[in-house]
Amino acid sequence: MIEIKQSSPYPLRGVLPTDELMLSGHLACQGCGAALVMRYALKALGERTIAVIPACCWTIIAGAFPYSALRVPLFHTAFETAASAAAGIKAGLEVLGKGDITVLAWAGDGGTFDIGLQALSGAAERNDDIIYVCYDNEAYMNTGIQRSSATPWRAWTTTTPTRHPKDEPKKDMMAIMAAHRIPYAATASPAYPEDLVRKMQKAKAIRGTKFIHIISPCPPGWKSASELSVKLARLAVQTKIFPLYEVENGLKWRITLEPKGLPVEEYLKLQGRFRHLSPEEIRKIQETVDAEWARLVAKAKAEAS
Amino acid sequence: MSTKAKAKELAPDRVVAFASEREMPPLAVSLGTSLANKTGSWRYLRPVYEEKEPPCNHACPAGNDIRGFIALILKGKLAEARELLCETNPFPAITGRVCHHPCELECNRQKLDEPLSIRALERLAGDEGYNGKGLRPPRRRHKERIAIVGSGPAGLSCAYFLARKGYQVAIFEAERKPGGMLRWGIPEYRLPKAVLERELALLRDLGIEFKAGLRVGQDLRLEELQAGYDTIFLAVGATAGVELELPGGEAAGVLHGLEFLKRVNFGERVELGERVAVIGGGNTAMDAARVALRLGAKPVVVYRRTRAEMPAIPEEVEAALEEGVEFTFLAAPIEVLTANGQLKGARFIKMELGPPDETGRRRPMPIKGSEFKLELDNLILAVGERPDLSFLPEGVKLREGRVNDPVLVEALRAPIFAGGDAATGAGTVVEAIASGRRGAEAIDRHLRGLPEPEPEREPVLVPFERINLDYFEPRPRAQGRALAVPERVTNFEEIELGLSLEQGQLEAERCFSCGGCNQCDNCITYCPDVAISRHDDQYEVDYDYCKGCGICAQECPRWVISLVEEEK
Amino acid sequence: MATEVELKAGIPSGKKVITGNYAVSYGAALARAQVIAAYPITPQTQIVELLADFCAEGALRANFIKVESEHSAMAACIGAAAVGARAFTATSAQGLALMHEMLHWAAGARLPIVMANVNRAMGPPWSIWTDQNDSLSQRDTGWMQFYCESNQEALDTVIQAYKVAEKVLLPAMLVLDAFFLSHTSEPVEIPEQGLVDRYLPPYNPEFKLDITDPRAFGGITMPSEYFELRYKMQKAMEEALEVAKAADLEFKELFGRGYGLVEPYRLEDAELALVTSGTVTSTARLVIDELRAKGERVGLLKVRLFRPFPTALVREHLLKVPKIAVIDRNISFGHGGIFAQEIKSALYNAEPRRPLFGFVAGLGGRDITPELIEEIIAYALAHDRPEEEIIWMGVKR
Repeated sequence: MIEIKQSSPYPLRGVLPTDELMLSGHLACQGCGAALVMRYALKALGERTIAVIPACCWTIIAGAFPYSALRVPLFHTAFETAASAAAGIKAGLEVLGKGDITVLAWAGDGGTFDIGLQALSGAAERNDDIIYVCYDNEAYMNTGIQRSSATPWRAWTTTTPTRHPKDEPKKDMMAIMAAHRIPYAATASPAYPEDLVRKMQKAKAIRGTKFIHIISPCPPGWKSASELSVKLARLAVQTKIFPLYEVENGLKWRITLEPKGLPVEEYLKLQGRFRHLSPEEIRKIQETVDAEWARLVAKAKAEAS
Repeated sequence: MSTKAKAKELAPDRVVAFASEREMPPLAVSLGTSLANKTGSWRYLRPVYEEKEPPCNHACPAGNDIRGFIALILKGKLAEARELLCETNPFPAITGRVCHHPCELECNRQKLDEPLSIRALERLAGDEGYNGKGLRPPRRRHKERIAIVGSGPAGLSCAYFLARKGYQVAIFEAERKPGGMLRWGIPEYRLPKAVLERELALLRDLGIEFKAGLRVGQDLRLEELQAGYDTIFLAVGATAGVELELPGGEAAGVLHGLEFLKRVNFGERVELGERVAVIGGGNTAMDAARVALRLGAKPVVVYRRTRAEMPAIPEEVEAALEEGVEFTFLAAPIEVLTANGQLKGARFIKMELGPPDETGRRRPMPIKGSEFKLELDNLILAVGERPDLSFLPEGVKLREGRVNDPVLVEALRAPIFAGGDAATGAGTVVEAIASGRRGAEAIDRHLRGLPEPEPEREPVLVPFERINLDYFEPRPRAQGRALAVPERVTNFEEIELGLSLEQGQLEAERCFSCGGCNQCDNCITYCPDVAISRHDDQYEVDYDYCKGCGICAQECPRWVISLVEEEK
Repeated sequence: MATEVELKAGIPSGKKVITGNYAVSYGAALARAQVIAAYPITPQTQIVELLADFCAEGALRANFIKVESEHSAMAACIGAAAVGARAFTATSAQGLALMHEMLHWAAGARLPIVMANVNRAMGPPWSIWTDQNDSLSQRDTGWMQFYCESNQEALDTVIQAYKVAEKVLLPAMLVLDAFFLSHTSEPVEIPEQGLVDRYLPPYNPEFKLDITDPRAFGGITMPSEYFELRYKMQKAMEEALEVAKAADLEFKELFGRGYGLVEPYRLEDAELALVTSGTVTSTARLVIDELRAKGERVGLLKVRLFRPFPTALVREHLLKVPKIAVIDRNISFGHGGIFAQEIKSALYNAEPRRPLFGFVAGLGGRDITPELIEEIIAYALAHDRPEEEIIWMGVKR
């Protein structure tokens, strides 16, 4: 378990690399979690990085032609091709003698959980040497908030209206990736940039396919106040809805931050997409979260013993 | 020149426009950066750095910058911490020991766990921040000379601030040694004389002249004093014990609290019997009881209300209990029992609490027929103090600041000033220090012909609700080392041994720093628009790019950043 | 199969009897493809199998990504080309259709990827045999398309395609018929690597993913700029006609073989010009020779380059001939044979107006026999004008 100095007077001062490889003037909405996590990710990876972005919010955030919000090369690619295009870039770099450059595939949940899953599975199975980040805002936000397989149970989206909210649970993407036995998979949250950066740096140092799943609050899509994005990212972790952990080689599970186990309601109540939930539904979510957490703890324990 | 070569020459925030397809690259490749997009135009709320008043600072009678000195301790800068305290308080090592710390009562942290150990931190700064060297005398800027009557905390404070302003100051003290109540009102185990001497020595460094053993009104007439000085500050304290109209109160064995403490403090061997009752619930009563304990007595404190109403500092009550002082609450003496002019005991009556009185505390009411007797060797009365103004013309009343009593004005034909307990009635050390400072400022204005300052605007206080608790975990407050009860009750050794620097820094970490930026960098770290930067210790928001999401304000642990509406 | 020792030194030159598929593999290897990303599909598979061997044995210093789909194959090629690597893939039919989105992407990103497509009929029903509907369905993606007649041409076209593609920054597809070419062995002259290197220098584009010059590629583009970028793509296609012509001439100088963008065959004084593409051309040549021997004035125009369409050359050769008969091994449902349409449209704004007979034949791998071609010629000679817009040849009715 890493020490997160949240109770120190300067929990974050000096803990992140100072380089800013994401520039101001990008086109993310106010309080966008996806912008924040890109900023941290690039701080961790440094200039010797090439980013590949499929259709997702970042298609817009990165800026329109002829501008770029990144100080690293960026290739925009089709929705389902983040992993395959990244694999091609890496292959090209290797054959050109530049194999040390990090290739970062940067996709949303739709591009990862849904349309890009096949290409990602392919890359993961081949163990292509890429870092694949899924910044997960839990719906198709760029197209205007439609449900994806990452949307939580009972959340409102424009295709799961409150009179018929989503019936299915969120897909367990980390388990899918772990099942590929890739060398490294981890979850991260923008509320804990130190942890996020450490995981990105760890991923950078490992050869093969690395998968980082980052919860990414979306004020317009979650119907939350823009200033609460970091708080929500923190609550997601502290309520155990989105625990922070890492998996090595698909087998070694390790929880990287012990959550306080706050009631899920603390997290749900700040978001309009959950406003319609009944107490019964909230209770059910709590039960599910507790059960999932117990399973995660068991996996981590199994490794420890 | 190629398109690419041209692009390389562009400033990062240049707008790139194409007049024709010939100027365009063959594919959609960026030629400029997003800095060309001034996304600050999206903003409707503007974050601004606006420090606010912490409740501790606001509660401090001396106006100490508590948040500020704690921040310096956090950085290990004890000398700077002491220096900052000395801007408003000449004696951090003293108040760091004896202050009744209203700051801690207001500390926001207590709503999370416990208030900060502010007094202990002040002592750390006061003791360890002292570099062992003297102070440099301030530049003599003014020719005026000021006489200060009384060398208690108010007189010393006034002298200190006047000396710092560049005046020549002389302090007249009736006793053999300066310090007033600090010297003879507070027992050694709370405030060692060595500490007092050190602080007094620093005042001498400032060029303050001490004339001890001169009792104004007795050794020296006020008019004589006035002749030699441009003005006078009267700070003679509240040294007379409040009398209880008790039958038999003049019997031998009946002592007054302050007088008792003074004798002990001056090294006199005061003989006490074993059975001692101390009447009162204030700090003098506590001190008297605990001193009596150290002299071998088995004191019992008799107080007419309950523990909750006791005006003494709670820690002192706690310490007295720990040491074995007994307490009888809801009782008051009604008669001293004597034999041959010698105290034999006292008769008491039990009380109950009635409706609140003018102080807001519930008034004690005697319960008929509840009298009881105690056999006693000594009775120490510590039910309050009042100023002794016998050196002034009959009937003169003092008030803080410029004295306007017509009798005195007529007698002296020049303005004089007063402060401290003598002017305000019995108070605390820190209140006396504050009063002395206000006196110094009033004297300075008078001598310089300056107008009264504008009343300060009511500051914006930081309520607990504005503290972001995501950044603070409950953690008990620092406990300094202290002598254990058996080690201390037989002597006058200082009980509290203070915090180590390490303890102090850990304790300083607990400080919310309400409303005061401690450069934690949260705002920079969590800005999704990379619009905040820090230059040394100053933050700057780049309003060209800040979209006004408000995360910086939300994630500021201590409400330094405010969001204000943009003008449309 | 060459031995490993030989291969380590590179691709051995000289005459060899190989299939069309292998000819393509040799072409890609000699072109020093650096990244190959491919997915198996009949009848293409042998192309990438041999390339996998070349890579495994060290004859070709390339990174071969065994992707999980053709869509990913093209995406990976796109990524590789974007960093400045020479990328190659091969596919057929369903695979090409799956790639469709990425074909647009490759072209729009102006990446000179070269791909071999072995023409195979689209399902359903399942078919593995040849027709051109797969490649012609990709007509408007911005890819150049070369239709090959022989194994030698297939090998040479891979090399030429890179030359042209890298000059004009557009991807290129070479197309060969399933089985008739892909699995048929012919003697092929395998050129010397040194000579190929002289012809095809390393690829080094002006704009590429480069950490020393970080730029974004393919970002969202407003209507104020998108139109111009598309205009530039069309200009690049137009330029490609000249570039391809020059590349073919240069190739001929170095290697002694050339193909032209179109190839006229015995068209002088012809009354009828047959228009063909792919392997039908070889069959048609024999028929033409036989008919010429009998005194019939018939000739042939082989269309090798379909995109960009060589309009000027088509006009130059066909307007001299009174009648035109186009054989299409493809069908645009609801209209007709695609080559016929393209040629009609090429001639429309030119004089004089010539009758054009559009024959659809050989779909799904049905043999186009010399007899069938004779029938076609006979029909065209016998009629002043076609009786139908589509003349179906060989349909059992």
